[in-house]
Amino acid sequence: MISVKKNNIEGWLFVSPLVIWISLIILVPIYIAFELSLFNVKIIGTSGKFVGIDNYIKLFGKSKFLNASLNSFYWIIGNAICQTFFAFTIALTINYKFPGKKIMANWIILSFIIPTVVVVVIWKLMLSSSSGVINSVLIDIGLLDEATGFFSSPNKAFISLVLINSWRWSPFLALIILSGLNSINREMYDASKVDGANFFQQFLFITFPNLKSVLFVLGLVGTLLSFNIFDIIWLITKGGPSSATTTLPLLIYETAFTKFRISQAATLSIVTSFLLLLFSIIFIKSMAPKEDD
Amino acid sequence: MIKENNIKLIFLSLSLLLIILIFFFPFFWIITSSFKSPEEIIATSTTIIPRSFTLEHYNKILFNSDFFIYLKNSLIVSFSSMIISIILSVSAAYGLHKLKFYGNKFVEYSLLVTYAFPGVILLVPIYLLFAKVNLLNSYFALIVVNVLFATPFAVWMLKAFFKLIPNEIEEAAYIDGASRYIVISRIIVPLAAPGIASVAIFCFIISWTEYLFASILISGDDLKTLPVGLAGIVGQYQIDWGFLLSGAVLASLPVILLFVFIGKYFVSGLTEGAVK
Repeated sequence: MISVKKNNIEGWLFVSPLVIWISLIILVPIYIAFELSLFNVKIIGTSGKFVGIDNYIKLFGKSKFLNASLNSFYWIIGNAICQTFFAFTIALTINYKFPGKKIMANWIILSFIIPTVVVVVIWKLMLSSSSGVINSVLIDIGLLDEATGFFSSPNKAFISLVLINSWRWSPFLALIILSGLNSINREMYDASKVDGANFFQQFLFITFPNLKSVLFVLGLVGTLLSFNIFDIIWLITKGGPSSATTTLPLLIYETAFTKFRISQAATLSIVTSFLLLLFSIIFIKSMAPKEDD
Repeated sequence: MIKENNIKLIFLSLSLLLIILIFFFPFFWIITSSFKSPEEIIATSTTIIPRSFTLEHYNKILFNSDFFIYLKNSLIVSFSSMIISIILSVSAAYGLHKLKFYGNKFVEYSLLVTYAFPGVILLVPIYLLFAKVNLLNSYFALIVVNVLFATPFAVWMLKAFFKLIPNEIEEAAYIDGASRYIVISRIIVPLAAPGIASVAIFCFIISWTEYLFASILISGDDLKTLPVGLAGIVGQYQIDWGFLLSGAVLASLPVILLFVFIGKYFVSGLTEGAVK
């Protein structure tokens, strides 16, 4: 039918507009950032002197960088745990038949389609220490003696932010997990039932292994997306209290746009991209499911 | 048998209750709060059923603020980003999944990894690049960035829909003498329409909710988008809650309306095809 060679040329023709668009907007900035990281530029628009790899050496000695890297690490782990729990709860629940299932499946994603700023508004109001509904409910049922500030201590702020971010992302992830659940052959469940398998055994031996390719994409994209979260943290805590919620994205932003150390911010960006690229390559090499086609 | 069903029913009702409380109640709360009097919003004792009703916050935001300017900017940026994203991602997805060319797996995985680079890592260098080519303070700056964020996942979503179209249909058309253009416009696009609709919503949402780049690349008040305008109120020392809540509700309304009409394609697009 269609020759392989013709496919090669036409295939590249079809993907090239997108590939060129993305490459331009990623590679040119990365080049600029790399160039900046070798100089000593402070305020945007001024030129600095060439300092070689000085910025890199300085970076690794900075406690701020180590603190932000650790925070980012905890952020990814915390979000992964919370979102896996919420997303599987939602996906497995919606996978059952109950009245109103269609409406719920359509609207569960509400927290994902509204602007992040609205997510911030919702939880700032609900978790407010002076008039928040969560505080007054917790006091009413006796779990709290007096209103607590959910963003006042380092640990509370960090956990609250992880929960808020998970609230935003879990429904979206749940729908992707549902797509995996839908592709599992129903007959496998019926057969296992005949063999006497219970709900948990079904989950462990049928559901979970069949979700491999979905979980692969979620593991990769989800981790990178979690890492990139900026606005929810910035708009609620500004990285505080005492830098407890300053992840790497916030550190880059702060360095560039509130402290005006452009070269330092560029160095941070380069190191961070390198770390994420390394993670992606390792993840793909070790976890990519083998495709039959 | 009956016992296991009972346990299932208890689990199901518990998780349903949990999901409604956690994922739906907050929306009930901010919508009703946006109609409450300022005193009731910040009252220390909270009641679930509102005691007051007022339209003053909506009055203020609609007739006494820059809301419509921000709305117009958000609409222009989101629609343009959506249309460009669809054209680029449909074309790329067709190339990737219908014409299995040399290197297609590399392109596919690279697109997924592209998620590594967007976000704050690109913020500083993109700001500098756009400053150099005089793109700061323009709709186009935001469109360029939004397309970058939306397309990698859009291509991945389209994969499933393109795979569902049997190759035989295409081959039959070629035998009848149809050109590539005819095949794409008359066969592929109509058959993948639900997929394209869900990708369109996804791209619109990504652009509609984008805050970080919009806050840095745009400084003129006349070009600000809704999220940036709202964030300005959040950042104030004394928050006018009624004003903020009505703004939040109004800023969510367009995506919710869009979702009412084509949301079911989005959800079924995500849940029915993605991995087949």
